[in-house]
Amino acid sequence: MNTGGKQFKHVMTTPSDREIRVERIFNAPRERVWQAMTDPELVAKWWGRGNELVVERMELTRGGHWRFVEHSDHGTHGFEGRYSEVVPPERVVQTFEWDGMPGHVALETMTLEDLGDGRTKLVNVSLFMTSADRDGALASGMEAGMEASYAALDRVLAA
Amino acid sequence: MALSDPTRRAILLKLGRKEASLGELHADFEMTLTGLKKHVHVLEEAGLVSTRKVGRARHCRLGPKKLENVTKWMSLYRDMLEERLDHLQAFLESNEEVAR
Repeated sequence: MNTGGKQFKHVMTTPSDREIRVERIFNAPRERVWQAMTDPELVAKWWGRGNELVVERMELTRGGHWRFVEHSDHGTHGFEGRYSEVVPPERVVQTFEWDGMPGHVALETMTLEDLGDGRTKLVNVSLFMTSADRDGALASGMEAGMEASYAALDRVLAA
Repeated sequence: MALSDPTRRAILLKLGRKEASLGELHADFEMTLTGLKKHVHVLEEAGLVSTRKVGRARHCRLGPKKLENVTKWMSLYRDMLEERLDHLQAFLESNEEVAR
């Protein structure tokens, strides 16, 4: 999808109003990318975005629980979810929830494609849940759910 | 329907993070500048984006009908995801000893 002369670091699209799709090519064979993403010791080296990361749980199997905690000068941020599909070395489907936005669960589908030339294409599609937690969030006056809000807003704008 | 188009939603997500000139937006979307301007115009008409001239460039930011609640979490999430992938990339490219 990203052809032509332009070289982008990554490609981000929004296939629907509840999804974010990110595509990126790594200069590394698929097995290595898979290992970096699934070995807790290696995950600790990059997942924290430069912050210290504690991998509290990483039960890499269907139904298994994961919980990672970032520690920085600005505080502590916990992230967690469950694996719903694990297919080495090419696919992980998991839920993602941040302690800072409780109830807002995203379903992440990560696939690794071997490009055959020592490079690997990662595609991550995040589907945002907007039903039950949306109602709760609306009731509490905090975050509005995306789908309903878009629809409602479009109605307002069209009026 | 301002929000029925994925490019327009992506523009809002991007502007939710920070202001950008038309040129900067154009660099991130695979379309002609004319096509991009049309999308920005639709968003501007809807009050979702406002633009102003700065020198020879046109700067875009979220408009009076801000979608803060709608876009905040997705925008924040996207930033975190991209930062993670940046670090994964740096890790993969710096550490040749990953493979055991």
